Amino acid sequence: MNTPKRILVACGTAIATSTVVAKAIEEALKEKGIAVTTRQCKATEVRSLADNADLIVTTTPVPNDLDVPVIKTLAFLTGIGKEEVIEEIIKKLEGK
Amino acid sequence: MEVFLTTLKSVIDSLGATVVLPIIIFVMGLIMGAKPGKAFRAGITIGIAFIGINLVIGLMWGTLSNVAQAMVTNWNIQRDIVDVGWPSAAAIAFGTDVGLWVIPIAILVNIILLVFKVTKTLNIDVWNYWHFAFLGGMVYMVTGNLTYGLIGAAVASALALFLADWTAKAVQSFYNLPGISIPHLTTAPGVPFAIVTNWILDRIPGVKDWKVDPESIQKKLGVFGEPIILGLVIGLVLGALGYYNAESAAVMILQTGINLAAVMLLLPRMVQILMEGLIPVSEAAREFMKKRASDREIYIGLDSAILIGHPAAISSSLLLVPIAILLSIILPGNRVILFADLAVIPFVVALFAPLMKGNIFRMMVAGILELGVGFYIATAMSPLFTKAAQNAGFAMPEGASNITSIADGFLWPQVFFTKLAEWLGVAGIVIAAAVLAVVWFMYSKNSSAWEVAAGAPAENK
Repeated sequence: MNTPKRILVACGTAIATSTVVAKAIEEALKEKGIAVTTRQCKATEVRSLADNADLIVTTTPVPNDLDVPVIKTLAFLTGIGKEEVIEEIIKKLEGK
Repeated sequence: MEVFLTTLKSVIDSLGATVVLPIIIFVMGLIMGAKPGKAFRAGITIGIAFIGINLVIGLMWGTLSNVAQAMVTNWNIQRDIVDVGWPSAAAIAFGTDVGLWVIPIAILVNIILLVFKVTKTLNIDVWNYWHFAFLGGMVYMVTGNLTYGLIGAAVASALALFLADWTAKAVQSFYNLPGISIPHLTTAPGVPFAIVTNWILDRIPGVKDWKVDPESIQKKLGVFGEPIILGLVIGLVLGALGYYNAESAAVMILQTGINLAAVMLLLPRMVQILMEGLIPVSEAAREFMKKRASDREIYIGLDSAILIGHPAAISSSLLLVPIAILLSIILPGNRVILFADLAVIPFVVALFAPLMKGNIFRMMVAGILELGVGFYIATAMSPLFTKAAQNAGFAMPEGASNITSIADGFLWPQVFFTKLAEWLGVAGIVIAAAVLAVVWFMYSKNSSAWEVAAGAPAENK
């Protein structure tokens, strides 16, 4: 239970938007006392990296037949609805 | 203004971008309301990122320059302009004298255009302001006048807003992203190429029905989406061409391969650090702009990275990677050797998709067209590009190769602006701004027809 949950953060390049999202998730969950590790990847790499993740958060379309729950959101980029998405992330992580 | 800027510039030049940018980012963060501790950390992080990028560029440059020279000796293939990739271009752009000012300038332009209801886009993608700095930096290089460069950057930021407004409906319906637009100067310049390609292909019987299946492409060509493997293979091939007759050829070839594979992994990692440093500033800028934007319907302007995961974008780029490498070899008069920006091709094609309904064959044709033209633009612009890199304080060995990148060295708005400024000085910038204003006016008079032309669904009329 104490091992940090692993979140895979995907975007087009694994550089730009996924960095923003990964840092935002880490910060928000840390405030709530939940330890997570994030890993950034490109949309093309999601399939091969999904096995090592508890949750995938993405800003761009990814395959929808994965065994891992996927949250597709722009909330961390636009700032709109960010709280709701964080709640959703926590719910999905605890559901595992 | 000019005296103030010149004095400031000499101070900045003697300190170097790695010292100045942290200070500027720190101050800018404070002004826009970030916490001091966060702003300080952000500034330092950006300085570190610059040092990291510089190190990796050095490795890439050395490796590619040497092998390019060896290829000239062996085969008489003149490919001496090295594609250093958009990560380098972005660092260069932010590091030029124009880059130091681009964030406040672009925010100001955006707020003014929003208040006067010229644009609907609120461009919160602060990271991609580097494109405006790049264009402004080029104008500065050809005119030698920093004020002109800053105006150039301002016009570029307005151009991005126009392109975002124009393509917004198409993006929103095809990619299912309500309320989003893409003010991204690598992606939107492709729309005219897509329009032309569609027009031509619709008139060729048989060909107009051609389609390619995205799934099979992704399975067969997936390797072209893996940068380190791509870097390794390109390195080995270039190494073999350059060093097959050298002393200890095997060692040289293998080293070239592993060096270029390393660059493909390390360069994006360095840029992640840069991104991380920019987050507090871009978040503060976002809040700052949102507070001042009016309540009417606005589009949130985001990075085209959010489009890239779409199967049409991925598949057509996978096809285009080997084609682009081939083009770089066979096009007569081209001197560009493609490398780091092979990974950026999805950005070039992403806005073809709505217009072409995701038809990968057509996206590929339009991509060939845009990249084909791009090779010549890049060949012509590379001395300026190299000069901009020197202005930004990146170490360039004497007599080394010139540099370019697909983003934004291959694109027409950048060359259009720069050449106008070169020929006509300030009049050229005024003309560029006037052209943009006229086009914008025409669009505002007949926006739905323009939006359909960019790929928005016609029934929205």
